[in-house]
Amino acid sequence: MSSVTMKVNGETRTATVAPETTLLKLLREQFNLTGAKLGCDVGDCGACTVMVDGQAVNACLMLADQASGRDVLTIEGLATRDRLHPLQQAFEVHAALQCGFCGPGVIMSAKALLDENPDPSVQEINDALAGNLCRCTGYTKMVAAIQDVARSRNAGSAKLPAPRNVR
Amino acid sequence: MKAFDVVVAKNAREALALLAAYGARAKLLAGGTDLLVDLKSAAHVPEVVVDISRAADLDGLELTEQGLRIGALATHSAVMKSPLVRQYFPALVDASHTVGAVQTRNLGTLAGNLVTCVPSMDGGPTLLALEAIVTVASSAGQRQMPLSEFFVGPRKTILKPDEMLADIVIPKKNLGKPTAFLKFGLRKGQALALVNVAASAWIDSRRQVFVEPRIALGAVAPTVIRALKAEAWLDGKPATTAAMSEAGRLAAGEAKPISDFRASAGYRRDLIQVLTARALAQAAAQSTAGSKETTK
Repeated sequence: MSSVTMKVNGETRTATVAPETTLLKLLREQFNLTGAKLGCDVGDCGACTVMVDGQAVNACLMLADQASGRDVLTIEGLATRDRLHPLQQAFEVHAALQCGFCGPGVIMSAKALLDENPDPSVQEINDALAGNLCRCTGYTKMVAAIQDVARSRNAGSAKLPAPRNVR
Repeated sequence: MKAFDVVVAKNAREALALLAAYGARAKLLAGGTDLLVDLKSAAHVPEVVVDISRAADLDGLELTEQGLRIGALATHSAVMKSPLVRQYFPALVDASHTVGAVQTRNLGTLAGNLVTCVPSMDGGPTLLALEAIVTVASSAGQRQMPLSEFFVGPRKTILKPDEMLADIVIPKKNLGKPTAFLKFGLRKGQALALVNVAASAWIDSRRQVFVEPRIALGAVAPTVIRALKAEAWLDGKPATTAAMSEAGRLAAGEAKPISDFRASAGYRRDLIQVLTARALAQAAAQSTAGSKETTK
C-alpha cells in the first residue's frame, strides 16, 4: 500500500491505495466521486474521462500513484452549489444527453477542448469527442451545445442563447 | 487487476538499474495505454512495474547534432504540438493524430507505440520512411540501430529484458524531407489501420525525378516494413502519376497481408497500391510547393 496525495477539484486529498489501483478506482471508491464512470476499462469508451494538469485523460488508464502531486479535475468540480457550468447548462438546454452515462466524460472532453481552443470548428469538436462513445444521441446535439458555449463565451456573454430546436 | 508492485524511477539511470535487477520480472510503465490494458486481462502480472512516466530525462523533443530527438516519454499529443515536428515533419503530426483519441494521445507515447510493436502501429511507418534511428539503453550502456532492425515480429522487438527504448532520432539529413502519412481505418476515430502507408522523397527540382524515395507499410506484414523494391525502382524516375502508380503496384507485391475480420488480404493489397501512390503524390506536391531547393 502506498500513500497518494493530489489536488482533486481544487482540494488536496490523500489516500492509501494498493499499487495497482487506477485513478478511476481511487476517485470512485475512495473519494466517492462517481461522476467519472467505469465503462470499458480499457480506454475505448471515454466514460472515465477526467482532466489531469489540464489534459483530458482516461482515468482507467492511469495508476492512482501517477496522479500524485498533480491537479485532477472531475465533473464534480465544474458546477458550484447554485450554478451549473456553462457546458452543463448548454447540454441541458439542448437536451444533449439521453441516458447520460457518457455525459461526465463528454463534458470533460469538451471542457479540455474549449480551454485549449476557444473557437473550435465542428470537425475539431468531432475530433475532441472521438474518444467518447455515446450510443444514444448521435452526437449532433452535443456538438451544437459545445458550439453554443464557445459562441456565447466569445461574444462575452454568460447567458446562453436558446437553441433553435427547442421551443 | 491482479496485484503487482510499482517502483517509481525518477530518471533513466534508476530505471535501467531496476531493469538490470529484475529483468523479465519487470515491465516498464510510460504512457500506460497498452500496458495497463494488457495487465487488466493478464493471467500473470509482472512482479514489479517500473514507472518511468515521471523520469524527466526521458522526455522531450529537441534538435541535437544527430537530428530530431524524440524522448521515450514524448506523448502523441506532445508530438502533434511540437513546433519542431510541425515545421520539419508534418507527416508525423498526421500519424500521431490518427492514434486512438485525445485521451489516449495525451497519455500514450510514440516510443511506446514502437515497443508494443503491433503490425498496425500508426507511429511506425512515418518514422521508418524517415529512416529513424532508435537508442536502446541498458545499465551496461547504449546502442543505436535503424528502426527497421528494432522490429522483430508482432509484439516482438529486439529489446532484451534489461533494455529499454531511450529515444528515437530522425537523422539530420532528413530534416524537412517531404513526407506523407495515410491511414485507412474503418472509422475516423479509435480504429486500427487496415493499411497505413508513409512515403518520403526528395524531388530533384531540375530534372523532376524522385531522389531517395522511401516507402513504409503498416498492418500488411508481421511488422511495419519498408517496400525496398518499390523504392529502388522509383529512385531516379520522373514524378509522374504513372511512376507513382507503378511504385504502388510493386509495394503491394512486397507486402504479406493477411485476411481477418477487418478486411481480406486482396482488399489490403489494393489499398497498399492506392495509398502508396497517393502518399508519394502528396510528398511530391509538398516538395514542389516547398521553398527548399533540393540539390541532391
